[in-house]
Amino acid sequence: MKEASRWKRAGGWVDLRGRREGGLAFLLMRLTGIGLVIYLFIHLYVLRLLAQGPEAWDAFIAMAKSPLFLALDGLLILGILYHALNGVRVTLLGLGIGVPHQARLFWGVMTLTLLMTAVAVYAIFAITG
Amino acid sequence: MWIWQAFTGLLLLILLTLHMVFNHFVVEGGLRTYQDVVAYLSHPVVFAWEILFLVVVTAHALMGVRAIILDLGIGPGTDRWLKRGLTLLGLVMIGYGVWLSWLVRSRGV
Amino acid sequence: MPTWQLRLLRGRPGSPPRLETYRVELPAEAYLIDAVEKIWAEQDRSLLFRHACHHASCGACGVRVNGRERLMCITPLREFSPDRAIQVEPLRHFPWLGDLLVDVSPMMQWMAEIGFAIIRRDELTADRPLPGGIEQGTRFEDCIECGLCLSACPVMAADEAYLGPAALAAIERMLAEPRDGDTARLLALADDPHGAWRCHSAMECTAACPSNVDPASAIGRLRRRLIVEKFRRWIGGGR
Repeated sequence: MKEASRWKRAGGWVDLRGRREGGLAFLLMRLTGIGLVIYLFIHLYVLRLLAQGPEAWDAFIAMAKSPLFLALDGLLILGILYHALNGVRVTLLGLGIGVPHQARLFWGVMTLTLLMTAVAVYAIFAITG
Repeated sequence: MWIWQAFTGLLLLILLTLHMVFNHFVVEGGLRTYQDVVAYLSHPVVFAWEILFLVVVTAHALMGVRAIILDLGIGPGTDRWLKRGLTLLGLVMIGYGVWLSWLVRSRGV
Repeated sequence: MPTWQLRLLRGRPGSPPRLETYRVELPAEAYLIDAVEKIWAEQDRSLLFRHACHHASCGACGVRVNGRERLMCITPLREFSPDRAIQVEPLRHFPWLGDLLVDVSPMMQWMAEIGFAIIRRDELTADRPLPGGIEQGTRFEDCIECGLCLSACPVMAADEAYLGPAALAAIERMLAEPRDGDTARLLALADDPHGAWRCHSAMECTAACPSNVDPASAIGRLRRRLIVEKFRRWIGGGR
């Protein structure tokens, strides 16, 4: 609708009303993508501690082993896994491959994401613990 | 641009997996101490791998940002400036990463 | 005979629209278009909506039913319960003209520009004997230009420059059977940041399409063709 303000229109991709698996997959893809870009900036910024020498870096590593940080790592892995697995799905669909199976593929991506995240979170706490 | 987004994305499947494995599944405790990082980056293959990862992940991330902004319905004029701005940002990010890796590496070699 | 509740979006551009509930008595065998027509005929002659063929071949009566894009003429009332209101709203991503009516001309202009194939040889009856007096079977093209796919597509929400699923599917269709048409012009139209590359595979177009056009697959085929053309130009330096 033309009457809707430009801002309201700009947020239209967030609107899940009337949308199905494919629309949800797209929304999650975009949200994880935005999250990962923000993470990339934070990651590069934190790495500046390496230039400051051993004390600064090793103090950060000690902090990064706290349960809160490790839980955030779990969230990061969840986002990466969804973005990566759905990325493969979307690459195939974008070339017209497997379109009739797109909803089933989405649930497959979700299942794999959750399973692999569970394994990764277990590994994180097992390795650092 | 879609082709490049897909291509860099598929590259990242390999690059990121090994980035994670190298950094978290090789050393005891899962996180590298300062000495571990220096030793790690001193290896020429690892150094090249991490730089390649940096370039590809930066390109993929910033192309994604452009896609999101294009979806807001911007015109070709705005897009030209957007592309310039993101290219500059990408070069700064890559330049910073290469400088940092080189600095850390030089303390070990 | 059951009484159905319909909650229709009402209003005219310039003031915010509101939802109004109407009650109509109709048999369960009736369709949503019958209910809306009955409301127009018996309760409010100012109700704006589009309709023509009543059998899903004109594409005029596209609306959103409980949020989802549907053609009113093939939406049976028996799908719903008389206890709960059926919400009917106009399509998204088109200029709103009032009530359930939108201006579909932005889409139609693209379709005209592409030179949309309307008729093709009928492959369904190709190897069957034709009735006497008929020389050749022709088949109307699948796309009925209803605009449901544009309304369902999340990319259409903000990007007015995006060609959209219907137009991209039409380009792909024309390329498959160009009949001396200008394929280079169509490829150039599709090979644009706001053309075939803008699609993010949300797959809502194909899910919404009432006519088996499958725009998502068509966009995929179109991209494959564009990639092959690019590659050819790259290694061959033109043709």
